[in-house]
Amino acid sequence: MSRPEEAGLRTRGRWPPPEGPRAAIVGSRRPSPYGEAVAEQLGADLARAGVIVISGLALGIDAAAHRGALLGGGVTVAVMGTGVDVVYPASHAQLAEEILAGGGALVSQFPDGTTPRRHNFPARNWTMAALSDVVVVVEAAQGSGALITADAALDLHKEVMAVPGSVFSPLSVGTHGLIRDGAALVQNARDVLAALGATQEVLDDPLSAPQRLGVAALPGRDGIVSHLSDVLAMSAAEISRKLQLPVAEVLGRLTALELDGAVRRHHDGYVRALRKGKKPA
Amino acid sequence: MLGAVDSCTLAGFDVRGVEVQADIGHGDTKFLLVGLAATSVKEARERVRSAIKNSGLEFPGQRLTVNLAPAELRKEGSRLDLPIAVAIALARAGKKPPPHTAFLGELALDGAVRHVDGVLVAALGLRRLGYERVFVPEADAAEAALVECLAVIPCANLKAVVDHLLGVTQIQPFSHGGASAAAEPPATEHDLAEVHGQEEGRRALEIAAAGGHHLLLSGPPGAGKTMLARCLPGILPSLELEEALEVAQVRSLLGELPGHSPLDWTRPFRAPHHGVSMAGLIGGGTGLAQPGEISRAHHGVLFLDELAEFQSPVLQALRQPLESGRVTITRSAGSVSYPARFTLVAATNPCPCGWAGDPIRSCRCTPGGIDSYQRRLSGPLLDRIDLKVAVRRVKLETLASEPTGEGSSAVRERVVAARRRQLDRQDCLNAQLKPARLRKLAGLEPASRRTLERWAEQRGLTARGFHRAWRVARTSADLDGSEQIGEQHILEALGYRLQDVAA
Repeated sequence: MSRPEEAGLRTRGRWPPPEGPRAAIVGSRRPSPYGEAVAEQLGADLARAGVIVISGLALGIDAAAHRGALLGGGVTVAVMGTGVDVVYPASHAQLAEEILAGGGALVSQFPDGTTPRRHNFPARNWTMAALSDVVVVVEAAQGSGALITADAALDLHKEVMAVPGSVFSPLSVGTHGLIRDGAALVQNARDVLAALGATQEVLDDPLSAPQRLGVAALPGRDGIVSHLSDVLAMSAAEISRKLQLPVAEVLGRLTALELDGAVRRHHDGYVRALRKGKKPA
Repeated sequence: MLGAVDSCTLAGFDVRGVEVQADIGHGDTKFLLVGLAATSVKEARERVRSAIKNSGLEFPGQRLTVNLAPAELRKEGSRLDLPIAVAIALARAGKKPPPHTAFLGELALDGAVRHVDGVLVAALGLRRLGYERVFVPEADAAEAALVECLAVIPCANLKAVVDHLLGVTQIQPFSHGGASAAAEPPATEHDLAEVHGQEEGRRALEIAAAGGHHLLLSGPPGAGKTMLARCLPGILPSLELEEALEVAQVRSLLGELPGHSPLDWTRPFRAPHHGVSMAGLIGGGTGLAQPGEISRAHHGVLFLDELAEFQSPVLQALRQPLESGRVTITRSAGSVSYPARFTLVAATNPCPCGWAGDPIRSCRCTPGGIDSYQRRLSGPLLDRIDLKVAVRRVKLETLASEPTGEGSSAVRERVVAARRRQLDRQDCLNAQLKPARLRKLAGLEPASRRTLERWAEQRGLTARGFHRAWRVARTSADLDGSEQIGEQHILEALGYRLQDVAA
């Protein structure tokens, strides 16, 4: 089946993709650890359920969605704002290769050799909406490009969905606005699948069941982890004040937890590491 | 009639002996000055002529030739005025100067002997060359008197000097107050007791002070990065005599030593503006290079605020001195080398607008903007900084309350003890340990080694990064008074590697 909006696209890899529902996952280029984990999880679960995951190969949510889809063993398509031969950002060259190797495609409405131009990206966002059956927004600050994709989806009469976030985070302003305006709230991949009108079979697939994002707790670490949030980063200084421990010791313990993958360090502090939901047997 | 006295010329800290010969011969009235004299030395002719006349001495009305030997050595500056005038006076009198004696000083037209820069450097050099007595300007006598086993004759004017040499009247040698170590640690302007919160920053500062590690503070505007940096000199031990002399030598060359109390025991703190030029930071200027900010910060702290705003070539030029503790600058007039062993404290915003990662204000930079900003900071310079710490803004309600942290003097005690352990063990600070000595002197317990190796593998540490973390762990252990590097010390050291996060 060839859709009219697919005419004139430059493509690399397998195009058109295999038959099936298509979901775009878009959002901030600088997400919180929470948003990144959600995008990856949704990408993986949707891919496992046979959904083609579409995103824009950008930093942040886009990359997490692509990566998740690849982890889920599915097909993912990157709609690019540059020529299909120009990977932007360049650091995603490896990711682009993996997308192609996974049976996915890179597509673009721009001629080969087009370099990143600010004004090309809104048009790309529109194309992304056109190619998808549903658009899921994960973390978007006010004025985020992901909201352009959502607007385009509305114009094209496609479903728009949004993942809620912390009310303390500026990255939730855009998504909560969408929900307020009537976008469907996404709790897990099942919600997206329902919107896609996926069959009962798919819904009953255990892989698409709600996944609890578990906290990797380790025994014998004095519960420093339990003082950490999984959304807001805390500095070693704050933790040392809270626990009344010397900062040198706290820093050492945090590093040990980091080595074990139980906490993650960001520029501004530490958060609990989110563990991907275990694959049920 | 021939007269000859000794003096010297300086190229940086390098002191070379100069013999000033004056010959009064037959012929037309003429004053010739030969021996590769720079313009500043050629001007001496006019000053010397007037000074001799105005001192009530007779200027030879015949052919006068002054030679500065060795002739292939370029001479600069006005410190040869006095020796030239004395050589002429001795030639007229047919006398020889006392043995092992050297002269330095600029002359005013009325015969007064004026201050010259670098007297301390010259005096130390002359002592090394075997001189036992120096005649220096009165204003600089205290400076020269810092040198052991060197008699200092303070010169007020040319007449007094000549009278002294001809045995008419005697000038009393400058009585040595001598250089003795500071009894009391100097009071510090900035005390850690006034810093709110910032436990991580304080601890990093303590480690930097104890091991001589370079430190990068990253955080939003107003987080207290500058305040922390200014506290560093206050937790460092006072300068040792030898160190104070080196610091004084740099100041002496720049003419910045106060005449009355030339030795200062507090560690220098230099904070050049980010617009500083290469010559200003590293050293330079016309002719022979003058010491720059990095040499003024010798044995002290160099604070570079807004690191990303400095010109890239200027920052790159810091690499050599950061490694070797010295800087060598070559100019057309010759190459000079200055000491520059300082602790670098750099501060930077996390992004161009400064608010990335702030819990309240949101950052308005694009990811690309942040990326290129960080890239400007990355690379070889950051690779040489051992400690990198994020500094967060302190909550306003905390600012109104009394700060509860330790004061500088308590921290300084631990720092002094840790430094003593290092000097006893290895004769240098941990930051200066080469990898071979590090392996020998800073053995890792098996668990510590495993942890370090695991991290290195996980985060793709370079060999340089690996050794940096190891050195910081050594300092952390020294602060604990422990000879063995435990796992805790390695883990703490890895906690100061902010750069492994960004990747």
